[in-house]
Amino acid sequence: MRQEEIGVVSRYSLGIDIGGTFTDIVVYDRETGRQFNRKVLTTHGDPSIGVMTGIDTLLKEDGLKPEEMGRVVHATTLFTNSLIERKGAVTGLITTEGFRDTLEIGRERKYELYDIAIEKPAPLIPRNLRLEVGERIKHDGSVKTPLDEQRLDKVADELVKNGATSIAIVFLHSYKNPSHERSAAARVAKRHPKVAISASCDVAPEIREFERASTTAANAFIKPLAHVYLANIAGQLKGRQVRAPFQLMLSNGGLTNVEEAKRSPVQLLESGPAAGALAAAFFGTEDGGGNVLAFDMGGTTAKLSVVDNGQPLITYAFEAARQKRFIEGSGFPIRISSIELIEIGAGGGSIAHIDEIGLLKVGPQSAGSEPGPASYGRGGTNATVTDADFFLGYLNPDFFAGGTMKIDLKAAERAMAPLMKQTGLSLTEVAWGIYDVVNENMASAARVHIAERGKDPRRYAILATGGAGPVHAYYVAKKLGLRKVICPKAAGVASALGLLMAPARIDRVATVAVRIDQVKWTDLEAAYRKLEDNAKAVIAETGLDPKKAKVTRLADIRYVGQAFEVVVELPDGPYTAASKAALNEAFEKAYIEKFTRTPPDVPAEFINIRVSVKAEIAGSATEVTLAAGGKGKALKGKRPVYFPEAKGFVEAAVYDRYAMKPGDSFQGPAVVEERESTLIVGPGASFVVAPSGNLVVTVPQEGAA
Amino acid sequence: MSERHAEGAFDPVMLEVLWTRLISVVDEASAALLRTSFSTLVYESLDFSCVICDEDGNSLVQGTGSIPSFIGTVPRSVKHFIADIGKENMRPGDVLILNDPWKGTGHLPDITVCRPIFREGRIVAFSGSTAHAPDIGGHLRSALPREVFEEGFFMPPMKFIHEGKPDDTFFKLLRAAVRTPDETVGDLWAQVTAHELMAKRLIEVMAEYGLASLKELAAEIQGRCERAMRAAIRAVPDGTYHAEAAMDGSGSPITLKLALTISGDEVICDYAGSSPAQGNAVNAPLCYTFAYTSYALKCVFSPSLPNNEGVFRAVRVMAPEGSILNPRFPTAVGLRAMVGHYLPPMVLSALADVAPHRVMAGPGSPIWNITQSGVRPNGKTYANTMFFNGGMGALASRDGEQCLCWPSNASSSPVEVCEQVSPFFFHFKRLTPDSGGRGRHRGGLGQDVLVESESDTPVTVVFLAERTRNPAPGIKGGGPGGLGAVHINGEWKDAKGKYFLKKGDTLQLTLPGGGGFGPEAERDPGLVARDRLMGYVTR
Repeated sequence: MRQEEIGVVSRYSLGIDIGGTFTDIVVYDRETGRQFNRKVLTTHGDPSIGVMTGIDTLLKEDGLKPEEMGRVVHATTLFTNSLIERKGAVTGLITTEGFRDTLEIGRERKYELYDIAIEKPAPLIPRNLRLEVGERIKHDGSVKTPLDEQRLDKVADELVKNGATSIAIVFLHSYKNPSHERSAAARVAKRHPKVAISASCDVAPEIREFERASTTAANAFIKPLAHVYLANIAGQLKGRQVRAPFQLMLSNGGLTNVEEAKRSPVQLLESGPAAGALAAAFFGTEDGGGNVLAFDMGGTTAKLSVVDNGQPLITYAFEAARQKRFIEGSGFPIRISSIELIEIGAGGGSIAHIDEIGLLKVGPQSAGSEPGPASYGRGGTNATVTDADFFLGYLNPDFFAGGTMKIDLKAAERAMAPLMKQTGLSLTEVAWGIYDVVNENMASAARVHIAERGKDPRRYAILATGGAGPVHAYYVAKKLGLRKVICPKAAGVASALGLLMAPARIDRVATVAVRIDQVKWTDLEAAYRKLEDNAKAVIAETGLDPKKAKVTRLADIRYVGQAFEVVVELPDGPYTAASKAALNEAFEKAYIEKFTRTPPDVPAEFINIRVSVKAEIAGSATEVTLAAGGKGKALKGKRPVYFPEAKGFVEAAVYDRYAMKPGDSFQGPAVVEERESTLIVGPGASFVVAPSGNLVVTVPQEGAA
Repeated sequence: MSERHAEGAFDPVMLEVLWTRLISVVDEASAALLRTSFSTLVYESLDFSCVICDEDGNSLVQGTGSIPSFIGTVPRSVKHFIADIGKENMRPGDVLILNDPWKGTGHLPDITVCRPIFREGRIVAFSGSTAHAPDIGGHLRSALPREVFEEGFFMPPMKFIHEGKPDDTFFKLLRAAVRTPDETVGDLWAQVTAHELMAKRLIEVMAEYGLASLKELAAEIQGRCERAMRAAIRAVPDGTYHAEAAMDGSGSPITLKLALTISGDEVICDYAGSSPAQGNAVNAPLCYTFAYTSYALKCVFSPSLPNNEGVFRAVRVMAPEGSILNPRFPTAVGLRAMVGHYLPPMVLSALADVAPHRVMAGPGSPIWNITQSGVRPNGKTYANTMFFNGGMGALASRDGEQCLCWPSNASSSPVEVCEQVSPFFFHFKRLTPDSGGRGRHRGGLGQDVLVESESDTPVTVVFLAERTRNPAPGIKGGGPGGLGAVHINGEWKDAKGKYFLKKGDTLQLTLPGGGGFGPEAERDPGLVARDRLMGYVTR
């Protein structure tokens, strides 16, 4: 199968996206552009059960044959959950003598200033399973103390004896010289062939020992689980006669094969959100000009990601499993390439309350799905965002979740009554307040995120997905001064569809730490070549032609003396001494874009070099036509809906999304209903059904609401 | 909305929305400062803060991850700028600077920058920031100076950028006075960048919401914080509660005394009876004494309130003039942290009986550091500071955290980075078993660090280090934490001294552990067994 060109053999692609609550299965037919999808509950004990149930149902009901699937792409939150719930392998650490406590000491900084009861995230590997060996490499890569192999054997035996099924190996300065880690990994693997090994020089070869150890520990913690799970699901697919190559989505939105995923499962942590960002990039290409703020708001959290020129932004550092209200610093640092995401602890189920100085706050406490918002009538008594949405007329109590749920409006009002009393505001003002505060949370997070990258938010269109995204997107857009709101059809399964749009992408990184005016250009060129060859080898393993792959060179560059690098996309190689000016120029341009000015008279230095190798896959869903529909009458009726522009409730038109046809145009104020969500459009706005099938809202230009 | 504003009333929604918006402005500026800085003090240790004040210097918002003391000091510095320079003499594009310890943060290395923000021709706000410079000249940051003149380059409140034009003379003098001209000046430009951002974004926000002034907003937010703080204070019984701390000092022992009086909705902290100002740099100006006392009161009474000066209106702090907690100019003050970091544990200890669930046993603070300096083989001077932290004190609810910065909030530097930027080779950096104070809940462990100089040229080292003679006390029957110690080539040294390391010399810092909470006999046997297994406790 390795030599087989993926996806050309058949017309169908299969996407599988396992989320915390639901598993989405989507099949895309590249001949007709049709897509079929199913949502099933995620089966937490063995997620493959849910997956197979979904696939079986879909294939049977839609009359498809498993052998017609040309490719299978998979994303999962399984590994992230395993970190959050700390349900992973018994993991051991072998590290440089004198430094077993690096993981526990961390960076010694409080993520909250005034809480004396602050808790650091406990290390994934407890102290009794963190053992040391004699060895030492210096910061220049020279060997000070050779690896003590006898000691290594002893500590490995001890870890295994204590139950470790996975071992992380982290030696100081291994990003500079990996030889000790490599030989230790090989030796332990030989001695204990059943134990999973993760060496930090393979997982995250970057300077800063705590962050590198944290990433490697996370990888080791989930590695045995990944082995079993990936082998299991691949086996079951084969058993179902799905013979297509099985690919995994990486956190950076690229694809890889099962072998690479088993080696470094930490790279899969954000695979689900990455698929969502890719879907946003896809749906935003035509109607958003490729510059999109993807806004996915669900029941408990919202996720924002930025798409620039059709590409989701990538970050090289994030945190997993934040234990306290999404506060930065309360999770494990993870140093891998990932789609850049901001996660905000506010969604439809977030609870509103009055804080100790009388301000209205929303979240991060959530009513969850049990008991859920007060209006669900399941015993919830706290006022949530969803309750405010009902009160304001944004959601239709008779058509919630397609009419499958009964809504108790009186309960929503009762839940908001205490807030009225505490603030002295009217019921309407409280409801609008909840809605407005949660929108400001989103807008502020987006504003800082975009501004930190030196960009103007106004160049983006907001693309709303998730159950609550379209309900809030219009007024978030107004706060940010955005001109356009895009609402794709079937936003509920957009993320799974994103799986089928990704090229195979492999990223590699190495630390070089050299000043630009002291670069030995042949060495630098050789270092880039080495990364490229390594990445292309994985592309070849995936069954694609590495010669057709697109190579992008990047580098983390900073001014000598700084500690934070700017990741700069560089001109193509090969590099020679003549390349210096062009590389310098690329860095300065990126720096000024971000920070407005460059410091005077300081040379630049390369810290890390990176390559990103991408290969397009035949049969990627780049031409999905979702614009089918247009049966029946679009206008369902009218209902009173609150709009701040009118300072009150007005009769707004209510439309049926399924009856809208491409080319139709409408005026706000309006409400557009579909099964999974509702789009709110304010007065003065106009919107159309674009040829792409997206609803595209033009926001009127004026001062802030 | 604008009508409401005209009436001077902000509703709880409008306030929350504006507040969130302003926090995002300072957070964005803080991120820019961090990412454009040149010294490990800023970029690894995050020893800086950004603040926005109204046109009178009343603070509105501070960056989310700020250094606690700077939150108390920056708005006061802004008021000094206004008083000393005069608003009428400020022009758009001016940027101001000071490091006067009595008007700044209590010592010279902290550089405070301020920018008046103009809208429609008048000042509507001030942005303020403080960042710890890697070097400010003078003695290295040590106990040895007797007067502030010896401690480095002294900047009274002054302009250093005039209507957008940098003052070349100022920059020449500053560069010439410090060991790290590129880093000190590089960080200063990082601050300037952050101020440009704060000004730009604040003007956008004011335009968007039609705010002509920030005064009413500041008054509203501060009023609300003040009322909440007063309510929390009122809930604790009236009375005067005492605490005392013994500091190492050098030579003669130092005593700090606190009488904390709760009277209705006010707290009065009086440090009468504390030792007189020292003849060295171990002294904390009153601005710093105030900042850390207030910090601890906020931890106890209103930990989740926004960072805001309004919180501190219910607080009065006094210390006799000429004492170690209120020294007169020109007393040396470089080690003010060694005094000031004792104050929060004293406040908690005073309140241990009336608010036992909101306090902790003595932590292994003050923060420790090594400042080292020398001349590289290429003739270039350098200086560098690395931070280290001891264990936290135990709480009523659980064991103390190991190695965490409290009450300050500076990160430690990665060993791999330290080895790159300094000639030190690290032999170990590990937890110290048995350094946590015993008790129902154990104090957090301190750490043990051994470095060796690999420099062909001599390296000068000085320290911030305390609790080498007096351990962190336990409370409610808990035991004390482990003692700290500084060893050079295996020999115990007075941590207040200045030392010279040759190639091959070793330096060991043993950080103190936190104190325990409650009697050890009440400790859960499960925890005892876990501590043994993990090697936290070996005896």
